[in-house]
Amino acid sequence: MAILDINGVSLSFGGLKVVDGLDLHVNEGEIVSVIGPNGAGKTTLFNLITGIYRPDEGDITLDDQSIVGLQPHVISQRGVSRTFQTLRLFLNMSVKENVMAAAYGHTRAGVFRSMLRTPGMRREEREIERLAQERLAFFGKRLMGYRWDQPAYSLSYANRRRLEIARATATNPRILLLDEPAAGMNPSETHEITELIGELRTEGGYTILVIEHDMHVVEGISDRVVALDHGVKIAEGSFDAVATNAKVVEAYLGLQTAATK
Amino acid sequence: MSDSTPHGSHVPAEGPAVGQDEWVARHAEQRFMPGGPLGALEDRIRRVPWWAWLILFLAAASTLPVFEHSGYVRYVAFSTVLYMLLALGLNVVVGWGGLLDLGYVAFYGIGAYAYAMLDSDKFGIHLPTIVSVPLVVAIGAIGGFLLGLPSRRLTGDYLAIVTLFFLQLFQTITTNGDAAFGHNLTGGPNGILNVDPFHLGKHDLVVQHEGIFAVSYFYVALAVFAVVFVALRFVNQSRTGRAWRSQREDPLAAEAMGMPVNWLKLLSFSFGAAVAALTGTLFAAQSASVFPLTFYFVLLIIVYTMVILGGSGSQAGVVAGAVIVSPLLELLRDPGKSRVIFFLALVGGLLLMSRRSRALGIVAIVTLAFGFAVHEILGAIDKSWIAGEHQGGFAGVTDHWVVAPAHMARWIAPTSYIGLIAAVLLVTMVRGRLRLALLVPTVYLTAFVWENVMLAKPEPARYIVLGVILIALMILRPNGLLGERRVEIV
Amino acid sequence: MDTFLQLTVDALTLGSVYALIALGYTLVYGVLKLLNFAHGDVFMVGSFIGFGVLQLLGGTSKPVVPVWLLLVLMVLAAMVGCAVLGVVIERFAYRPLRDAPRIAPLISALGVSFFLANSMQLLFGATPRNYNIFDLANASLYTKGFNVGNVHVALLRIITVVAAFVLMVLLWFLVNRTRTGKAMRATSYDREAAAMMGIDIDKVIVFTFVLGSALAGAGGVLQSLRVPTTVAIGFVVGLKGFTAAVIGGIGSIPGAMAGGLILGFAESFSQGYISTKWSDLIVFSILIAFMIFRPQGLLGRADIRKV
Repeated sequence: MAILDINGVSLSFGGLKVVDGLDLHVNEGEIVSVIGPNGAGKTTLFNLITGIYRPDEGDITLDDQSIVGLQPHVISQRGVSRTFQTLRLFLNMSVKENVMAAAYGHTRAGVFRSMLRTPGMRREEREIERLAQERLAFFGKRLMGYRWDQPAYSLSYANRRRLEIARATATNPRILLLDEPAAGMNPSETHEITELIGELRTEGGYTILVIEHDMHVVEGISDRVVALDHGVKIAEGSFDAVATNAKVVEAYLGLQTAATK
Repeated sequence: MSDSTPHGSHVPAEGPAVGQDEWVARHAEQRFMPGGPLGALEDRIRRVPWWAWLILFLAAASTLPVFEHSGYVRYVAFSTVLYMLLALGLNVVVGWGGLLDLGYVAFYGIGAYAYAMLDSDKFGIHLPTIVSVPLVVAIGAIGGFLLGLPSRRLTGDYLAIVTLFFLQLFQTITTNGDAAFGHNLTGGPNGILNVDPFHLGKHDLVVQHEGIFAVSYFYVALAVFAVVFVALRFVNQSRTGRAWRSQREDPLAAEAMGMPVNWLKLLSFSFGAAVAALTGTLFAAQSASVFPLTFYFVLLIIVYTMVILGGSGSQAGVVAGAVIVSPLLELLRDPGKSRVIFFLALVGGLLLMSRRSRALGIVAIVTLAFGFAVHEILGAIDKSWIAGEHQGGFAGVTDHWVVAPAHMARWIAPTSYIGLIAAVLLVTMVRGRLRLALLVPTVYLTAFVWENVMLAKPEPARYIVLGVILIALMILRPNGLLGERRVEIV
Repeated sequence: MDTFLQLTVDALTLGSVYALIALGYTLVYGVLKLLNFAHGDVFMVGSFIGFGVLQLLGGTSKPVVPVWLLLVLMVLAAMVGCAVLGVVIERFAYRPLRDAPRIAPLISALGVSFFLANSMQLLFGATPRNYNIFDLANASLYTKGFNVGNVHVALLRIITVVAAFVLMVLLWFLVNRTRTGKAMRATSYDREAAAMMGIDIDKVIVFTFVLGSALAGAGGVLQSLRVPTTVAIGFVVGLKGFTAAVIGGIGSIPGAMAGGLILGFAESFSQGYISTKWSDLIVFSILIAFMIFRPQGLLGRADIRKV
């Protein structure tokens, strides 16, 4: 059954169609990869799903309920979480606080209860802290121990990517959007992240939509691959089928376009 | 994971070819673990919990009236506590919320005026303090919320203009409120007089005791400060506080992580306004009167200087800022004390810098000699150049060093002042020996201007000091004294 | 009808000065994305330079040069003086903070504003300075002019409006027709890209401050021809110019002109028809209305959020 349904969604900036009549369905527990050359509209697709942009046309539904026009934080609370291609951590907050902050949407203590430190509020605080530890522990020892109390800016690049994923999972999402999780990582780190995405599904139970350029990662994780070019879906199916699809090859290499013109 | 202690865990190398990531990690660990006895001491101090510092501070502050019997000094202590409260409130908006609220002191005014209207002969209302103060705080909170409402989706700049205009509007309304639709609501420029002191039942908390400041208000203010400090601290350590700081760091990421950014901004605005309004009631009750001009641009800059100097975002920092700036402004009113502060700052500054370079010690000695020489030469040419009187502290020392004309010709003040600005700017532009050489006449010129131009007009002079502090801080140490180092990647 | 005409004349005079100030805000905002709070105080310094030149040249009662030359010299001196001041402010208070968090230069600007106002008070005192233009050439600047119906439009007002518009046309020409102007527009569009295209950003920014501050200086003199000046006017004047720039669409040059005129009309008509005391409230309401319904201002463009 489809958890996320994107039907005929279009968006243009000025005269430029960035996403054009896109259909995409993601089933519960699936890992779907979105590939395509730069400017294909992949990140825009994520921004549409998370409510940062509002589509000009079409509908996006989560569990058969439309989420178009909802504010991003509401969509996040409904169970959609994401990471950012450009890394948008809360740099001056500690590693642990980065993750704890993301629990905002599913916790309830109000400001007055916080001021008075009521037992209920303290209990919730402990739960948030435990949740953060659990999410950080997911990455083995890389984000553990003394690192918890260090500001996020002190982390290495790869650890920042990991922290973004940990933060995204702390919103207790059902569907996780990962925007180029392996970008800028070395081969061993890339290998690690490939395995990790698989674990996110098996252990975390998340449905995952990934944008990725590294074809080894895409091959390693995907149940299904969707290729975009100029905001249009040009291919969909298994990795092998999409990777050998003529249109996809053309979009990446532009050979036949040059030949036909 | 079983390994969950924040300290002491060692990161083992995981497999071969770990790359730069692990390298960074190992080095980071070494760097963050201070060594040696000094490091141990620093570590020890860092481990003292915040509430212990707070109790220590409150205890020290509350013994002040035991040693100090002067009503003036006690009053300055009281107003310092008010500044501490204002700084705490502004810290919520600027430090945690990351919003540039330039209408902040208007809420202080709203609090003071609201209390004055609810507890004075103005409208014949005399609400008990336990009713009026919470009411005023609520008014402040709602006011802050409403002001934030139209600007909620906008960036800092637009918020700045709306709030700044709001400050102006507060002036317009209070100043012209004596003839609003035919009613006298605010007393206009004359303000509202005979405001009630705090009172419970039939007991007044008198403002003056035998004609001098009643120290009870100092303790009330200190108690309010303690409560506000702790309450805000708790909020900052809750999900709301984390969300505030998250949206300050990156509003878009915060929004995507389920935090309602607009609501959080309004909330922080509202919190700041509520604290300001609360402080306003203390002010109005103690001074027994309110006037429009108390709550204007000057006060805004003073509170901002405190927050920035202390380190916005750090509660202890902004309190320290208030504790430094408030007495400083008082001392600068008096030419004698002002001179003492100036020379202490000058010598202290040179000493501090000379730790980094020995050459500055030489500069200090040369400047001293330079001063005596200039003094003697000018004195030999024309006696009137050095005939000016020095008064107050250090007068004996400066008598033979700083030139003081008996009669200040009209051109002297602008020329020397603008010359000083030019000299200081020039010093910041050049490097090496030239800078050291230039430093000598610049320091001397500073002394001359301070002695002859600034001391004559303490009012603008002390505000000039504030302006310079603000600019210099932003350039040299934007995190203030106790603020955390902040990075921002744009 | 006469009131209406009279108020229109007032609005144009006031509005053209506001437009001059708003232009300074808009230009600087365009290239630096910085609201230069000190701009109102540069305007104030300009009005004092004008006063100083007037005194040097014999004052209004016995000017040593012809009236037209006197006015030109006052405006020119204020423009040059303020341009220098603007460049110094940029070099020392803003340039070190160009890569700092966005709130830092704003606070530095507050400090500069406070510093300038109080330095001027230290040197020249808080008493108002009146140009006493009425004494100039037997009040001819007031008596000459033309009549529309029963309303007399004084030469002084014509001079103010015409001078302001000439300066604005000059600015338009500089920004749209010169190389530096083009570099300026490129910089305001995307500073980093402009730098990579070989544009000297520092030079462009200095140029921007020269233009903006010179306009403020001229505005200071034009305003003080009619109204006495004090060291404290910077705050309110800056606030109004700033509001005009936001209403017109900050970053847009025609927007700043339109915003200035809107503000002039709003203020003078609310003073004429409602009350002299509450014009601030009207202007604030307009500002809030813009914030809610058209935050990008009259002629500004809405930004696409980049993620």
